[in-house]
Amino acid sequence: MRRRGVGASAITKKKLETSRYKEHGNELAMIQLDQLSKQLETFHSHLEKFAANHKQEIRKDPQFRRQFQQMCATIGVDPLASGKGFWSEMLGVGDFYYELGVQLVEVCITTRPQNGGIMPIKELHQKLLKTRGKYAQDISLDDIKTALSKLKLLGTGFTLLGTGSKQIVKSVPGELNMDHSAVLEVAQKYNGKVSNSDIEAMYNWQTERIQHVMEHLVREGMAWIDTQTPNKETWFWFPAFFNVKNNN
Amino acid sequence: SGFNWPWQYDFPPFFTMQKNADTKFKQTEAWCSLILDYHNHFNLFRLRIADALASPLFHNKAIDRRMSKQAVLEILDILNKKGNVEWEDKEKTSCRVFWKTTAQWADIIFKWVNEIGLNNTVCTLHEITNGPNSTNQEFHNLDAQILVDALKILQTTGKAELIGEDGVKFF
Repeated sequence: MRRRGVGASAITKKKLETSRYKEHGNELAMIQLDQLSKQLETFHSHLEKFAANHKQEIRKDPQFRRQFQQMCATIGVDPLASGKGFWSEMLGVGDFYYELGVQLVEVCITTRPQNGGIMPIKELHQKLLKTRGKYAQDISLDDIKTALSKLKLLGTGFTLLGTGSKQIVKSVPGELNMDHSAVLEVAQKYNGKVSNSDIEAMYNWQTERIQHVMEHLVREGMAWIDTQTPNKETWFWFPAFFNVKNNN
Repeated sequence: SGFNWPWQYDFPPFFTMQKNADTKFKQTEAWCSLILDYHNHFNLFRLRIADALASPLFHNKAIDRRMSKQAVLEILDILNKKGNVEWEDKEKTSCRVFWKTTAQWADIIFKWVNEIGLNNTVCTLHEITNGPNSTNQEFHNLDAQILVDALKILQTTGKAELIGEDGVKFF
């Protein structure tokens, strides 16, 4: 009986077959890779074309800018990554955030003696609009947050506290924990004035915990003490949230 | 009156001495400039503690906050070290307030002398501070003692010579 494939020639043949399969497989993979990179290239060029077409909107409209940035982020393109890359040259978007970052630092530093290094993001927004002047590009809260996140890389202690529209920008080094942020939130709500009993009523914390938090905020220069109050309780005032019009 | 109060004047804890050193420094500095600006605006050269404590300067009725005597003394002592305040008695019941130093007054007066050409003329002290030629000057109605002190500075640099009790010749 004739048995197949035991001889030396059969082994060579089999080897040849596997190598051919491998070759073919590689070929297929190559084609796929090629296609994929072509697709990505097309996508990239479309994105660039899109950016070029909508350059004006991206520069002028904060809402549009935010959406464009989200789109870029999902495919791993960071238009802010470099000051010299295609994106910044095309859109001037890198420069935009550098400029905003510098202005933001300036505003924070000049107001620091008064507010102790904390400022509601809305107030920062108003001040930035003022310093940038009437003819500059409009900026949104999201732009401020983006500029802030870029500043974080420098480790200068610029951080955003809280959530929502009552967010606070902190421009001094030093840690603020959840308790501090919680008190700042109440202070902001009460136009810059809180007492221990306000905090207790709000969060039901123990006396020691409240005292500890308040002492820290006074030590950081964010709160001033007032002992001439109608109810004889010490009040803590935050210049950052104090508005003459609201209190008188 | 038209005096521009600083924002701190309406900030209630401004009237309570702060315990944090940095905050207290900001507070006392703000008080120092407020006191000088206030005296400058109302052309006041003397501060009596008892009167001042009851005046709007140290008592903001709108927000019901006032400075204690101890706090006022502390701030005036800082101004004293800066050369803007001079106690008139040991008990510190009143002081003179110089919102400009005597040397600054001397400069301003001599500049005015040159402007209107009073060089090489004799004039009375009253003429300088209350005469028609100085109505628009900062030193109009200047305290007589401060004027004499300023003129003495000009005398040491050879720009003026005091004549008798109430006359001066400029060079």
